[in-house]
Amino acid sequence: MTRARSRLWPALVFAISGGLVFAQDLPGRSETLPPGKNPHLGNKESIRAGMALYRIRCADCHGLDAAGYRGPDLVTAIAGGLTDERLFQTIRKGVPGTEMPAATTSPDDDLLLLIAYLRSVGTVAAPESPGGDVENGGRLFASQCASCHRVAGRGGRIGPDLTRIGIARSRSALVREIRTPSEWIGPSYETVTLVTKDGQRIRGAKKNEDVFSIQVMDSRERIQGYLKSSLQDVVYEKASLMPDFGPGRLNDKDLNDLVGYLSTLRGSDMTVR
Amino acid sequence: MRAFLTIVIGTLTVVALGAQQAAAPQVTSQDLLGGLKDPSRWLTYGGDYNGHRHSPLTQITPDNVNQLVSQWTFQTGTLGSFQSTPLVVDGVLYVTGYNNNAWAIDARSGRSIWRYRRNLPEDLRNCCGPVNRGFAALGDRLFMATIDAHLLALDMKTGGVLYDVELADYKLGYSATVAPLVVKDKVIVGIAGAEFGTRGFIDAYDVQTGKRAWRFYTVAGPDDPGGKTWPPGDAYQRGGGSIWVTGTYDPQQNLIFFGTGNPGPDYYSQAREGDNLYTASLVAIDADTGQRRWHYQFTPHDVHDWDSTQVPVLGEIPINGQPRKVVMFANRNGFFYTIDRTTGKPIVAKPFVETTWAKEIGPDGRPVMLPGHLPDEDGSKTCPDLGGGTNFMSPSYDPTSRLFFVTARETCAVYYAWEQKFKPGEQWESGGTIRPKDQKNFGALRAIDPATGQMKWEFRYTSVSSSGVLTTASGLVFAGDGEGNIMAFESRTGKNLWHYQLGFPVRSTAGTTYMVDGRQYLLVPAGSVLTAFALPQR
Repeated sequence: MTRARSRLWPALVFAISGGLVFAQDLPGRSETLPPGKNPHLGNKESIRAGMALYRIRCADCHGLDAAGYRGPDLVTAIAGGLTDERLFQTIRKGVPGTEMPAATTSPDDDLLLLIAYLRSVGTVAAPESPGGDVENGGRLFASQCASCHRVAGRGGRIGPDLTRIGIARSRSALVREIRTPSEWIGPSYETVTLVTKDGQRIRGAKKNEDVFSIQVMDSRERIQGYLKSSLQDVVYEKASLMPDFGPGRLNDKDLNDLVGYLSTLRGSDMTVR
Repeated sequence: MRAFLTIVIGTLTVVALGAQQAAAPQVTSQDLLGGLKDPSRWLTYGGDYNGHRHSPLTQITPDNVNQLVSQWTFQTGTLGSFQSTPLVVDGVLYVTGYNNNAWAIDARSGRSIWRYRRNLPEDLRNCCGPVNRGFAALGDRLFMATIDAHLLALDMKTGGVLYDVELADYKLGYSATVAPLVVKDKVIVGIAGAEFGTRGFIDAYDVQTGKRAWRFYTVAGPDDPGGKTWPPGDAYQRGGGSIWVTGTYDPQQNLIFFGTGNPGPDYYSQAREGDNLYTASLVAIDADTGQRRWHYQFTPHDVHDWDSTQVPVLGEIPINGQPRKVVMFANRNGFFYTIDRTTGKPIVAKPFVETTWAKEIGPDGRPVMLPGHLPDEDGSKTCPDLGGGTNFMSPSYDPTSRLFFVTARETCAVYYAWEQKFKPGEQWESGGTIRPKDQKNFGALRAIDPATGQMKWEFRYTSVSSSGVLTTASGLVFAGDGEGNIMAFESRTGKNLWHYQLGFPVRSTAGTTYMVDGRQYLLVPAGSVLTAFALPQR
């Protein structure tokens, strides 16, 4: 391969070298979906080529079956109505504030091949129906979750914003992440306790870190950076700040209702009119 | 009249002297052989033909390095990040950048003198971004490989193109990112693009005319020695073996050393049964003829994308009381090797990161394989990941302390493989990888004793790093982490002495150091910015 070539390097290539490159600076790299029909849609060979590209560039986060791994469930998202334009722009520009990098240097054709493959996958599964008592789920969310999670601009900020979680996660992923949140903790939400030189303990979510400094949001939602040389200790915890919502804490029916409610969260228009 | 004649003669004399000065070559073959003998300059990718990246400069020391302050920054104004090692010739920096931009820059002030920008074709494809690792220099010429697989000679004074040679057809996936290596009257360059099913090679071109002198294929053909390590047919035509990191040169043996890339396709074993020579190998080639003298294959039949395109570092070290001429090689496959550079036989081979695929390197030089590491459609977990134990980032060797310094990566991946139909010009890897969900990768700067392969010390980073390493005779090691810090360490102990947050990780190099007007500078490329550090002026 080459250089650090990149496969793993999708992450690296796009994030590192691509991080400073913009599509409009390279020929054949459009920022929006090129006009006309995607010539690869439904074409068997193209779909296979798109699958190879997908596996190399996307599967690390979205899973080999595109059903979500570290990153969102694309099968559900596509079956739920994600447009080609939105797909193209998401791949091209990435998603700010997430691990999704911008594919700034890839030719348009690569993106069209990926879309053709994802379309072929996305038509396999029908969108999951919300299920459960959504109203009860909403009440549960307000009482159990909203102090840490935000939806449409309301709620806590120490946990991930869930405004679009219905698009980003499958039902099974939501169940897993509610029941056993420590199984996988996303970047920017790992639990850390900082011990200051005078013995004060600051527990929170790690936002960033290098050898010499660490940045956290503490339980009072205060964001702050610390020089490690000014700390007595940094304790990395394996458990999520989010407690396990096991059956004793959230019975199966309530879980079903809560997941039903979360599945309805598909974004919010925040425009001031 | 007499006064007029005097002025005319005087003017002509000045012009003639000026012309004479301009004609003097700035970089001679002798200069290149001297390496960093004149440490105010930095004339080759690795600083010298040995690839040591070890400067004799001693103004910046372990005692004062924490006083380093930035003197100037140069912003390219372009997009994409540096992977280039800047050359320094008499107070002027020559540096290549993303998308085959290049600059000459005043080393004192950071002000641009000229800029070159290549018009790249619209249908260009490459696996890993249009990066470039730097210039080579000879006479008044600079040599640059381009991402569309050409070799350029540029006028050092103006950046104007003196010649432009096509190495291979970029439409088939060939590309070039390596900093060329000038040896005598030849400029030596390698080709990349193995993930597109290409056949790798190393070429030598006449520095004056650009005419090709020889070609060495890194994938043996059917009638070549080693040809039977490929399946019958034309698999060798797609056999990979990229070259994208600069080699080294031993003038006494007149041998050049290059590490070669992995075989193609990357992961799908059944497409290319056999050892797949000379991929994932170290090759020793006669500098005049391009004939292979010997080879050592690190990873026979590699299926994990572990190119051996790391820098082969040359040294002379005592082993068991005997002085040995060796090549030191920290390989992407996770093993560190010390190899006899006259025979190609390994003397030392030890893991320098966690390796799960081989128990050890056997007495015959071949890895003793462990079961369960052949990628397939179900996936198999192996350490290190495809980025390897180290990669394109340059190591450094301090011949005084006899320590080898390398940026190590502690990683694992689940490797998958599947059959993929080959189509010329399309990416053809037949597999991919996924990071295990619970995998916590990290990087470290490690000091290795090449006589034993033992690690002497390490400094751990928060995440993996792609920074190279630079050492100085004052006992300093410079390296960067994955978070954008450039750091200085005491070479004997690994104690961190200084750091500066650059805002973007250093990649490939840790920069160069040079001297201008009596001041030692540390020059670090990171992102699209060059930052020059020096001690405060008293």
